[in-house]
Amino acid sequence: MKKSIIVIFALLVFSIQSYSQIKIVTTIPDLKSIAEQIGGERVDAFSIATGYQNPHFVDPKPSYILKLAKADMFITVGLDLEIGWVPPLLNSARNAKIQKGGEGYVDASINIPLLQVPTSVNRGEGDIHIYGNPHYWLDPLNGKIIAQNIYNALARLDPEHQSEFQARLKKFNETIDVKIKEWESKLAKYKNTKVIVYHNEWPYFEQRFGLKIVDFLEPKPGIPPTPSQLAKIIGIMKRENLKIIINSPYFTSEATDLVARNSGGKVVTLATSVGAYPSIKNYFDLFDYNVYQLLSVFQ
Amino acid sequence: MDIPLWKFSSTRKVKVIMRFIRISFLIMLNSFLLLAQTDSTAVADSLLAIQLQSQMLTQTPVPPPAPVTRSAPSTNPDISAIGDFRSLYSSEGKKNIETYFNQLEVQVTSVVDPYASANFLFSFGKDSLNGDFSAGLEEATLTSLTLPYSMQVVLGKFKPHFTKVNILHPHAFSFIEFPTMIKNFFADEGLFMEGMSASVLIPNPWDFYQELDFEIGRSEVNASLDHGITNRLLYIAHLNNFFELSDNSTIGVGVSGLTGANHLNLATSMAGLDITYKWKPVQFNTYNSFTWQTEGLVSQTDTSVGNAVKSYGAYTFFEYQIEKRTFIGARYDYSGLPGVERSDERTSSLLLRFQPTEFQILALEFQNVNRNYAPSFQQVVFRAIFGIGTHAAHAY
Repeated sequence: MKKSIIVIFALLVFSIQSYSQIKIVTTIPDLKSIAEQIGGERVDAFSIATGYQNPHFVDPKPSYILKLAKADMFITVGLDLEIGWVPPLLNSARNAKIQKGGEGYVDASINIPLLQVPTSVNRGEGDIHIYGNPHYWLDPLNGKIIAQNIYNALARLDPEHQSEFQARLKKFNETIDVKIKEWESKLAKYKNTKVIVYHNEWPYFEQRFGLKIVDFLEPKPGIPPTPSQLAKIIGIMKRENLKIIINSPYFTSEATDLVARNSGGKVVTLATSVGAYPSIKNYFDLFDYNVYQLLSVFQ
Repeated sequence: MDIPLWKFSSTRKVKVIMRFIRISFLIMLNSFLLLAQTDSTAVADSLLAIQLQSQMLTQTPVPPPAPVTRSAPSTNPDISAIGDFRSLYSSEGKKNIETYFNQLEVQVTSVVDPYASANFLFSFGKDSLNGDFSAGLEEATLTSLTLPYSMQVVLGKFKPHFTKVNILHPHAFSFIEFPTMIKNFFADEGLFMEGMSASVLIPNPWDFYQELDFEIGRSEVNASLDHGITNRLLYIAHLNNFFELSDNSTIGVGVSGLTGANHLNLATSMAGLDITYKWKPVQFNTYNSFTWQTEGLVSQTDTSVGNAVKSYGAYTFFEYQIEKRTFIGARYDYSGLPGVERSDERTSSLLLRFQPTEFQILALEFQNVNRNYAPSFQQVVFRAIFGIGTHAAHAY
């Protein structure tokens, strides 16, 4: 009897604690990681996409509708990155709080200085994002802007704990400032190293760490590598003496391996998101991992 | 009644082979014309290569573009146009080679206000009898976004949730031809109704997705239903259950039921069951996938007071994505006719689909159709789907 009372009491406490948490659904795990950094134990976050999944192509499974229906906050990368799967999920979520314009809707791209904003758009150019390149979380300084956007929403939803969120935001920004110096200094002597990448998702990382992306294996964004494109890349690599090809976890290695074999280059697969590999547990690990991987092929 | 191809006389065989060669040529010609677009990419590639080479040779440093905040916002709705072009060879009839533009679908969709979204779908289709194009309103709906208790209401004209496949637009279905049971029991593109749909997410202790839909209104006239001469309404219910078996695989099980008025101003009632299994590896989800879907329905048509005819329909298909842009599939259909005893139609289909991008789908389908109420036939259909504009993503 005594044990039963304790169990019931524990369950009650647990359920009260769960109830008081802000339920957050994010589209990608990087946003989840930053939300957890700012919200601490006050938030219960879930990411729809995994870290090793192409965020452009996620199946809008009905089980995600269930998560969104119960969410207090929804955080999206925005810039139409998730245009193929977020609208049907939000339309079916039946949750006013997280609809665009709702108090729990967070577009993490607000105030991000965008790169590659097209002046005209034509689908003949491939999958062009009309608002600019959406892979902005791959610059850790943009992580601070994302964190600020998430903080604003948390403070709006739970003003009682605003000071707590503010303290965590400050700590997050300080950690970024410290870590970014560490990452930049490690890669400093490889500044302006020319690289080939599979898909056009590294401009923010390139800008931050001083790489020079020469070309892409995809002939146009979203179009799979063609023989003519691969031949062109092999020619460029030989002519320019380029040695590095950057792949992403969700592209098969056939094309990158073929180019490497024929050009004498090396393939490095960088993580595009938290959780891409088991060792990448948070937003800081993401850059630790990528910097380490780049150093291993540069050296 | 059914005569297999191998039992034909040699003259007949030659005729059939010649017809097949003609239609194959036609299909190849179509494919070539469409794939010519891909070749133009190659030309663009080489131009790009020349530009790139000349740029690299001159070694002129290009200043990085200044960051821009974002494009101008717009309140325009999402507008898309989707074309459906077909070529067909059928072993039935004298005129058995066709090449035609089947349908243009124009969709306009947007959020209305913070509480609802709207969707309008117009189709410009070819009349199979006189060949003329005519415009029609296929769907026009207002969908609530913010009702309490996980409820959602849809008002207007729409494809109701009877069976799983019925709600799909033809371009979103894996195969070119809709399942025979849908065509025989309703119409070529399924069941449409005008009225209201209310759905709710049912909370359950296991936290799996369970949605109950209830729809009420009037059906468009079709093979089973006709509300034109009566005040009877059409009632439909659909319960959808969805389970994630693993990160890579899911299964959905649904049951449906409807009751409405038939052409005799008597009742027609139907029940349906659907099962869909999907496998898609999360990490490489754009390269490989597998879908198996099976549905069945039973229909009871009252033909006079106290007398009713039962008929059945079912189909099962699989589709496998063998690489990023290529899919193969096979389907078997069985279907009777509503209100017709001992009617029987069996169709075997094979599918090859190539998708250069998500905006263009080229498909080739072979069908062998055996019927006990009309001559059997074989057909080969080529279809090119091509879309422009912003088209709302389809539900899972």
